[in-house]
Amino acid sequence: MPKFETTHYTLEYPYQRTTGPVTGPFLTGLRDGKLLGIRSGSRVLCPPLEFDPDTFEELEPDFVEVGPFGTVGSWTWIAEPTRKHPFQEPFAFATIALDGADTPIVHAVKASSVDVMKRGMRVKAMYREERVGAITDVYFVPEAEAYEQKIAKGKGEVGISQHLISLDFEESFAPTRKRYLEGLARGVFIGQKSPATGKVYIPSKGYDPIERVPMSEADDVELPYTGTITSYTIITPVAYYGQKETEPYIRASVLLDGADTPLGQQDLRTISTDEIRAGMRVKAIFKPEAERDFEGIDNRWGGTGGVIDRWEPTGEPDVPFEVFSQHAY
Amino acid sequence: MERCAVVGLGQTKYSKRHEITVDGLVRWAAKNALEDAGLEWKDLDAIVIGKAPDALEGIMMPELSLADALGSIGKPIHRVHTAGSVGASTAISAATLIESGMYDTVLTLGYEKQSDGNATWALGGGRSGSQGAGGSFAPWIRKYIAKSGAPPEVGTKVAVKDRLNALRNPNAHLHLYDIDEKKVKESPMLWDPIHFLESCPSSDGAAAMVLTNEKGAKKAPKKPAWVIAHAKRTEFTQFPGRDTVKPQAGVDCAEALYKKAGITNPRKQIDCAELYVPFSWYEPMWLEGHLIAPENEGWKMTLEGATAIGGDFPVNMSGGVLSSNPIGASGMIRCLEAANQVRGTAGEYQVDGARVALGHAYGGAANYFAMWIVSSEKDPKF
Repeated sequence: MPKFETTHYTLEYPYQRTTGPVTGPFLTGLRDGKLLGIRSGSRVLCPPLEFDPDTFEELEPDFVEVGPFGTVGSWTWIAEPTRKHPFQEPFAFATIALDGADTPIVHAVKASSVDVMKRGMRVKAMYREERVGAITDVYFVPEAEAYEQKIAKGKGEVGISQHLISLDFEESFAPTRKRYLEGLARGVFIGQKSPATGKVYIPSKGYDPIERVPMSEADDVELPYTGTITSYTIITPVAYYGQKETEPYIRASVLLDGADTPLGQQDLRTISTDEIRAGMRVKAIFKPEAERDFEGIDNRWGGTGGVIDRWEPTGEPDVPFEVFSQHAY
Repeated sequence: MERCAVVGLGQTKYSKRHEITVDGLVRWAAKNALEDAGLEWKDLDAIVIGKAPDALEGIMMPELSLADALGSIGKPIHRVHTAGSVGASTAISAATLIESGMYDTVLTLGYEKQSDGNATWALGGGRSGSQGAGGSFAPWIRKYIAKSGAPPEVGTKVAVKDRLNALRNPNAHLHLYDIDEKKVKESPMLWDPIHFLESCPSSDGAAAMVLTNEKGAKKAPKKPAWVIAHAKRTEFTQFPGRDTVKPQAGVDCAEALYKKAGITNPRKQIDCAELYVPFSWYEPMWLEGHLIAPENEGWKMTLEGATAIGGDFPVNMSGGVLSSNPIGASGMIRCLEAANQVRGTAGEYQVDGARVALGHAYGGAANYFAMWIVSSEKDPKF
């Protein structure tokens, strides 16, 4: 049986950004092997800003080439890079005052060792072989480790930039959630009966949301496999990154007999969209124990699609709306 | 308590806009608002911005990166977040900073750049099979229809009315010149009973207002809109006994708002309203949910034409959320357009003689509410 100590999740989306009148030329410059600053009064700002930080006025697109050499102000060594860092081997992040610029840029210095890194050290911009008009097209190396590069100019202006942004997180299951999931793994529904209101919650958050009274393991109750569909949505899926659905499908709330809150987000795809109605009686058919999959279930997400194979109509007469109206959602 | 006046309104054109940065977008609205108020960056004491979840654009803590675009260096900047209702919550938070006497002049702004990301992905926690906002609201809309006995054409009529109103508003995202009931009914069913044309678009845009106190209002070059009352309420998203069609928090919010304003008969005493209607059925649902119409009778106001421009209670004269939905700005736009009406500056979609107007937003699982009432008069009598 799975342990349900922690859950891992990666939230990831390929965002697109409009680069605009200042970042656009800057990124186009990087793609073409140039570092551009912008004039702001008597100063040159690099990276360039859209608005004057002193007067807040729009800056004229008056670009100046800076670098490729610069001086490190301060730095920090990244001994254990993550998959999203610009290098997979240890490197430094540093503030670099580029020659000709009055403000420092924060960027990566690919140094052979941490011992090379020093305040005041000279570095040179180097460009990656494959450049797409992104901040990662460029990186810096200690002057002694620099070499000559031939950079071919790309086509057009960089108007849109692409960013695959990911957030990896790991969280511990709340104790109540853990017991609910252990129940699903065994093939039973575990809810909690509030000592304050007598209401039965599933999945329970470990407290009564009406009276805000904490509940403990002693309040756990087992619920039956049968219940009533209290509300549903027929969804025409839209395409997006990570979307696996292509055909219309049903998501429903199922109120288990004896519960006061429905199980939300239930996948009812074996019931046809013509047949579905609120009040319909159904029974949960669990997947075989070895096939129960808990991927994606966390402390908030309540889907049971990996655990319950299907909800089967029982054939019993429908339950009138008045009976479950207080528990429908 | 100081009194709060709206002295500057600024909007971008709403659209799917790829040629401008988020910074440029907020700047556009802010500059329009400052210009309208006859003020400059230096005249602002604080900035209060709001937007929907960061996952919509994937920019964490945008209030920090937008500081220079909003001239807020050396000034306090606050960020508000209450899901879809955020625009109205933000405006109200800014109003309280004036009313408390803390600041003389505050810029408040809401924005969204939906084209950078995908709202259905973001609202679904980044997972496959997101039911989207419409999927959450569809069962409640069905419940409303069943309970109230409203005929199906109510949703269609709201969808057409708001799009026709949008044709009078140059800032609106959708300008559907050939919209009619047939087109709405024949558009794809997204979440039964919600058709594609009964749903809001995905928009980019920003809306901004300059708020000030009585002293500031005297110096303003244009007529101010006075903030008469505001209210915010929240409830849990799910609990046994929850009324999802007419949430108690929405009722409480409206009651508190009317009480503060001295309003005893909202339908008669309020001249027009900008309600947050992202799916057409929410027009009658909020008319009832905020006590403007008796229970189960909101749809009659729609059918009778009471909510059209020229009716006795016009709703969403600007075209509403159904015509422009930069999510984080949408609630701000409702508050802004209410002010626009009582200032008499709404142009082609002006309600004649509008003296008292309601701006409203809801968010989350219809569990956040934020509303304000503005008037052309500082102390309107009812």
